[in-house]
Amino acid sequence: MIVPLEHILILAALLFFLGLGGLLAWRTNLIMMLVCIEVMLNAVMLVFVGGSTQWGNADGQIFAIFIMALTSSEVSLALAMVVYLHRRKRTVNTDLFSEMKG
Amino acid sequence: MTLFDLLAFMPLVILATGAILCLLAGAVRPGGYLYELAIVVVAASMLWSLALPADGMLPGISVTPYARFCALFLDLAGITGLLLAAGYNRCRGIVGEEYPATLLFALVGMGAACAATDLLILFLGLEAFTFAFYILVAIERGSERGGEAGMKYLLNGTLSAAILAMGIALVYCSRGTLQLAELAAQGRGAGHLYLAGLSLILLGLAFKLSLVPAHLWTADVYQGAPAPVTALLSTASKGASLAALLLLMPLVTGWPGSHAILWWLALLSMLCGNLAALVQSSIKRMLAWSSVAQMGYVGLALTAAPAGGLRAAAFYVVIYAAAGLATFGAVAVLSDQGERDGIDAYRGLGYANPLAGAALAVGLFSLAGIPPAAGLMGKFAVFAAALRGGETALAVVGILTALVSVFYYLRVVVALYMRPAEGECRESHSLAISEVIALAAPTLVTLFLGVYPSPLLDLLARLIS
Repeated sequence: MIVPLEHILILAALLFFLGLGGLLAWRTNLIMMLVCIEVMLNAVMLVFVGGSTQWGNADGQIFAIFIMALTSSEVSLALAMVVYLHRRKRTVNTDLFSEMKG
Repeated sequence: MTLFDLLAFMPLVILATGAILCLLAGAVRPGGYLYELAIVVVAASMLWSLALPADGMLPGISVTPYARFCALFLDLAGITGLLLAAGYNRCRGIVGEEYPATLLFALVGMGAACAATDLLILFLGLEAFTFAFYILVAIERGSERGGEAGMKYLLNGTLSAAILAMGIALVYCSRGTLQLAELAAQGRGAGHLYLAGLSLILLGLAFKLSLVPAHLWTADVYQGAPAPVTALLSTASKGASLAALLLLMPLVTGWPGSHAILWWLALLSMLCGNLAALVQSSIKRMLAWSSVAQMGYVGLALTAAPAGGLRAAAFYVVIYAAAGLATFGAVAVLSDQGERDGIDAYRGLGYANPLAGAALAVGLFSLAGIPPAAGLMGKFAVFAAALRGGETALAVVGILTALVSVFYYLRVVVALYMRPAEGECRESHSLAISEVIALAAPTLVTLFLGVYPSPLLDLLARLIS
């Protein structure tokens, strides 16, 4: 393997915290929050594929494929909800979805 | 894979086939009979595992006595949830086959999570049932709050999935295997990567168990979701998450870091949950915060894992689930067209609707830990394990917060049996037979376990070594 595992882990950590930071910073827009979570999950997949190459077994790659399936279904559900909420309030600004507090 | 393995996995196969059957039958002829079909499917799966108990093993998943017990517990909760939902959903105009089918899919996911022997199946099972709950929370399309609650749950749940998956990825990177048995056998070693992975896994599961600081979704989701869904979310979903966590415990016990993590999670959950529940005026929010606090007691038991804490945690969750189903079931049954949410709206209902009032009162007694309801036994088991394990400080905090919690639970009971506000003479609508069963069963279980808990304790002692 040409790229050492450490480099993959550093890149994945950067992506993961980029996603997490974005999620916390962009809390006003639903779509951007979903994008940030996707970035985090992509970092996870990177770690799995890197680990898979390191250990020479396919478990990690299988896990990465399952994460792809999981995220695609989650995003489809999330976008359905975004469309539904947008119809109600004409916005994707999360600050306006504050029916419940306390 | 042999025929015997297939026989052992039949309960899960029955549930999955039943879910697809529900979807198909609903497409051909929609109607309320789908709830009965779903109940029959769950009962069939349960009877199969009781009548033909067999151990089986497939890659990543194996049916053990522990998995069968968890599946039985989850199936019972699922049946109660379906019975409650049948009447509630008809009243609210939640029509269609989606509700029973999604619930069956959730049960499949929970069953898989409890039977996992490998982190991939564990993760997929957890995410499968959480995914089903995203849909169930938002299923009431006419409701103002349903969509908002669903979205909040989805965002928080996906974030926790990402954290959990990252934890599993780091564990895999440092060990090269996903098998739980191999990971436990390899020991901890000194790998920072491995320990970071374990911490992230614990944090991800803390989201599912709504332990502080990963609890922020709980109150909003519990309030916004339809009451029968909240009943399942607070019992079956928590039970399955704890069952999965118990499978992971051999990896983390003995590592001081995991003890510290669980210690803080338990402490913060007990304090925040009980204090926040004190000031709530909505019953569902109050119960949501109380479930945060109750999960704190479970966390307290987990910190004392070497001293029989795992058994105590499982025992506590079973008791909590019975009480949770009784309370949320009563909230569902007592709700009219709108959700009956304010605590003041429950004034005098103990007379207007004796059975539902009694179920709510017994459930709240159990949550507060007042005999003869089972909650006291659960709390006793947890605190005894904590003291045996040397967690004196945490146990004292637990006992003090449990005393505080009595106030907000009894506030509802007092309202129930107060005179109704003047000029309000409610029609007491008679309960359907399904609602009577759904309320009476968890109430009786709560009372029974409060008087005679030893069979369940013995069973759990055999299952969780």
